[in-house]
Amino acid sequence: MTEREFRTVGKAVRRVDADDKLSGRAQFTGDMSVPGMAFAKLVPSPLPHARIVRVDAARARAMPGVYAVLTADELVNMETRYGSDKKDRPVVAMDKVRFQGEPVAAVAAVDLATAEAAAELVEVEYEELPVVSGIDAALDWRGEPVHESNLCHEYGYEWGDVDAAFRNCDRVFEDTFTFPMVYHYAMEPHVCIASYEPGRIRLWTSAQHPFLVQAEIARLFRLQLDQVQVVVPFVGGGYGSKSYTKIEPLVAALSREAGRPARLALSVEEAMRTVRRHAAKATIRTGVMNDGTIIARDCVGYVDTGGYTDNGVRVTERLADRMPGPYAIPHVRVKSYGLFTNSTPAGSYRSIGGPQAVWACESQMDVIAHALGLDPFEFRVKNLVPQGEEVRRGKRPIEGDLEAALRSVADAFGWEASRERAASERTSGPADGGVKRGVGFACAVTNSGASPTSTSLARLHADGSATVFIGSAEMGQGSRSAMAQIAAEEMRIPYEKVRVVASDTAAVPWDRSTGSSRSTTLMGLAVQGAGADIREQLLRLAAEHFEAFPDEIDAEDGQASFKGETVAFSALVREMFGGSGGELIGRGYVTPKHPSGKLRQDPVFWEVSIGAAEVEVDTATGEVRLLRYYSVSDPGKAINPKQVEGQDEGAAMQAIGHTLLEEMLYEDGQLLNPNLVDYRVPLFTDLPGEFETVLLETGNGPGPYGAKGVGEGGIVCVAPAVANAVFDATGARVSSLPLTPERVWRALREQQDA
Amino acid sequence: MLLAQESGAAALYAGGTELLLAMKSGLLAYDALINVKSIAGLDAVAADDRGVVIGASATHSAVERDALARERLPLLAEVEHSVANARVRNVGTLAGNLCFAEPHSDPATLLLIYEAELDAQGPSASRRIPVGELQTNSYETSLAPDEMVTAVRVPPFPAGMSGAYSKFGRHHRPTLGVAAAVAVEDGRVADVRIAIGCVSPVARRLPRSEDVLRGERVDGLAADAPALREACRLAAEDADAVADLHGEADYKAHLARVFLERTLLRALGRNGSGGDA
Ligand SMILES: Cc1cc2nc3c(=O)[nH]c(=O)nc-3n(C[C@H](O)[C@H](O)[C@H](O)COP(=O)(O)OP(=O)(O)OC[C@H]3O[C@@H](n4cnc5c(N)ncnc54)[C@H](O)[C@@H]3O)c2cc1C
Repeated sequence: MTEREFRTVGKAVRRVDADDKLSGRAQFTGDMSVPGMAFAKLVPSPLPHARIVRVDAARARAMPGVYAVLTADELVNMETRYGSDKKDRPVVAMDKVRFQGEPVAAVAAVDLATAEAAAELVEVEYEELPVVSGIDAALDWRGEPVHESNLCHEYGYEWGDVDAAFRNCDRVFEDTFTFPMVYHYAMEPHVCIASYEPGRIRLWTSAQHPFLVQAEIARLFRLQLDQVQVVVPFVGGGYGSKSYTKIEPLVAALSREAGRPARLALSVEEAMRTVRRHAAKATIRTGVMNDGTIIARDCVGYVDTGGYTDNGVRVTERLADRMPGPYAIPHVRVKSYGLFTNSTPAGSYRSIGGPQAVWACESQMDVIAHALGLDPFEFRVKNLVPQGEEVRRGKRPIEGDLEAALRSVADAFGWEASRERAASERTSGPADGGVKRGVGFACAVTNSGASPTSTSLARLHADGSATVFIGSAEMGQGSRSAMAQIAAEEMRIPYEKVRVVASDTAAVPWDRSTGSSRSTTLMGLAVQGAGADIREQLLRLAAEHFEAFPDEIDAEDGQASFKGETVAFSALVREMFGGSGGELIGRGYVTPKHPSGKLRQDPVFWEVSIGAAEVEVDTATGEVRLLRYYSVSDPGKAINPKQVEGQDEGAAMQAIGHTLLEEMLYEDGQLLNPNLVDYRVPLFTDLPGEFETVLLETGNGPGPYGAKGVGEGGIVCVAPAVANAVFDATGARVSSLPLTPERVWRALREQQDA
Repeated sequence: MLLAQESGAAALYAGGTELLLAMKSGLLAYDALINVKSIAGLDAVAADDRGVVIGASATHSAVERDALARERLPLLAEVEHSVANARVRNVGTLAGNLCFAEPHSDPATLLLIYEAELDAQGPSASRRIPVGELQTNSYETSLAPDEMVTAVRVPPFPAGMSGAYSKFGRHHRPTLGVAAAVAVEDGRVADVRIAIGCVSPVARRLPRSEDVLRGERVDGLAADAPALREACRLAAEDADAVADLHGEADYKAHLARVFLERTLLRALGRNGSGGDA
């Protein structure tokens, strides 16, 4: 049999939501209104660490137009704490506050102005506690810790005989790198409408994981899953900031208190006090032979998870998973620690622990290459994990040929020529000062996919059109379009005939989450299964219709054919139901036992990430200008190539933030740059003049048609590639991000003094 | 006047680009806002005997595009184009920028070398304030609570003088601004004006650096000329840089040195006698 050609898969079809989004018709949670809805305002703690002595909401409650004030006293007849791994987050602060901005109370009122005015009237008396600021303070702390201790989680693994290996190698390198706290900046800050009625809660919310929110709310309010409905309209960007459960419990409790639906829409300033990325500090010790063979690596990493665990457990683990790099190293020991401090809780952010780990690993790779006099590119290639071998003992082997991937980027970028050109310009230019150019490289593989559990339903209607039901949240990544493509392909109907209904727990079947680059791979498999189920039913119906065997039937473009005769799918459906109506229902299950056999191992897949950068450094000011950036993305099979590029470029652009600009600055627990004027995110003018994604379609993913996830890979290599380019240009190594002009200038001065 | 009647509970509202941000974040609160833009005639950019009069409700965009300003104050028009982003320039006013007295201001630095003045109107009297005497500290001015600025008066540079302005930084607002203008006669620096801003609470002229350069031969003023070096060294000292979110004081002092050199060389270049204009 000849390979069937894809009709929509692999094509850059128009997004299903393009018209709605371009015309402004698309509904986001913030556009919605529920009859009788109250407007909510938080009462944030001004202090980063304090015991709550007294909360007096009497004056606020007495204010005309105020429906309710929620304080810890109202958290009765319910569970009071939530969290994905550790249930340590109270719905509103209970005994003490652990970060500046933590909600101590919330007001529901007839309008926002009233809620804001009433929030000012809530009196809270605090007893200040010493503030735990940053990783070093958390480790060496004698005062009252943030929780029972400042240790949130610890994790590690080891293979080989690390100590002996270090004794036997030629050279040992030890370097420490730090990564700042950064804020996601989803253009739509968190927003939620909750409607509590006895025995039922409905939520409209900007959440990435509707079913995890449903389960959390059901547990908190002691309801069954079927009594909680979570609807996620279009989400205006997530990047992990809307993973798991955020403001939903508070809004639901406030609605219960107010006896009416309540709406809370955060500002950017409030979102910055809701969730952020983990700051990190990582020390890597590497033992190598003089020929550049890595023998041993010993990594110790710390992440700052802020006032509550949020996703601190998994981030601690991913940091450790990702620190040794994509290299074949016989002796490895890794330890990681998650620490509490008095700052905004840290959660998921595009590639959890990834940019932090890869920043340290790939910066040190260049330090070593330089010391050994090796080309940093060839030094990496020499140590890469070969295809089919384990990068982490006991985990899924690497599916792809990493060397080929590295070389493809090096070729596209013109690695050698660029490196030589920059070097010759440096030697021919003025001896001191001036502007210098350099190139840098970085690569990584990250364990992605979260857990392989998703379901989907498809309905083929009596007119031959179809509706597909998925749990994935559409947050700009284009999942609805990709799922429509897969469904259309499997059902053999045109893409335009598929409608996708998504992320409403009362309407669509269960999915774990939208994150970790997983939807196209895992929800994609579920949709593929549901679509194939329908196709098989159609083939059986057509076989009955033609009095033939199912495998003699061809199905394409909405019709079945047999020996030159055709029948429309719509006719087959109507025939089955003996009338004018009816429809077929298909289902797709994705579990670790999926019949493809590809989901048994952890991780679901390894996401490949490679970056090459060329920079210009003004050595008088320390300013770094990113001139060129090349990134590689391996979607296995690009269901929609345009969207893959969009994901990769978006991720790389976001990384320009933590590489050159972004850093949440705290002093004594107070956030010093709590808004977008003082906290600068990348603008289009910060993009490099040459900004390319190299798409590799290696076909080896576990998803539909060999697809695997993308979306996170683009973010992890930018910082080390740029810092390595700065080093190539100037010889100065910067070990803290972002690479602000001042940091680079100081590094240049240190290097001159040395 | 309204401002006097409301006695401290009201604020002038021009473009609101500063005021509304500060009010939203709870830093400022007023019972009433008085809309400057509704006062007729205040948006004009006109000529007077000394130069150009920019009304208090003229936006950055208006100044940047105004034919008279472009002709007589080309450097101001150029710098106004580099302020903030299009949205802020389209509503934010030049006067509002100065009156807010935020330390990181481009025009507050540049207007020092234009030796601009402000018209201030109180309930019963009006006065002229040299631009260097408006701002007294971060977010503080010498305006009385019931006084408002009605116009910014900017004389063009004297004949033969040309200027340049440099700004530097990664934030929305500049980390440093340096303005320099030079007049050359007989191959020598006949006059020079230098100002620095953003690195300290209030922008200032740098008279010691100016003195070092006055009378120097222009063709000797390459990057490593002793007079230029000395002027830059003094600038680093006299800038009185302070640490803030934009950086530490020693770094800013260093930037003052680097950018004074660059700015002076550009100003000389524009003069047609110092190099590659
Ligand atoms: C994102 C962003 C980026 C920016 N970048 C830059 C930059 O690169 N360079 C730069 O120089 N500036 C920058 N700014 C500042 C910008 O120029 C000012 O926000 C703007 O010019 C202020 O004008 P306005 O009319 O909006 O003032 P308003 O916000 O309306 O008023 C500001 C203050 O001045 C008072 N005021 C206004 N008019 C008068 C008057 N006639 N008399 C007395 N008091 C008055 C008001 O009461 C208020 O206290 C930036 C601002 C933002 C928000």
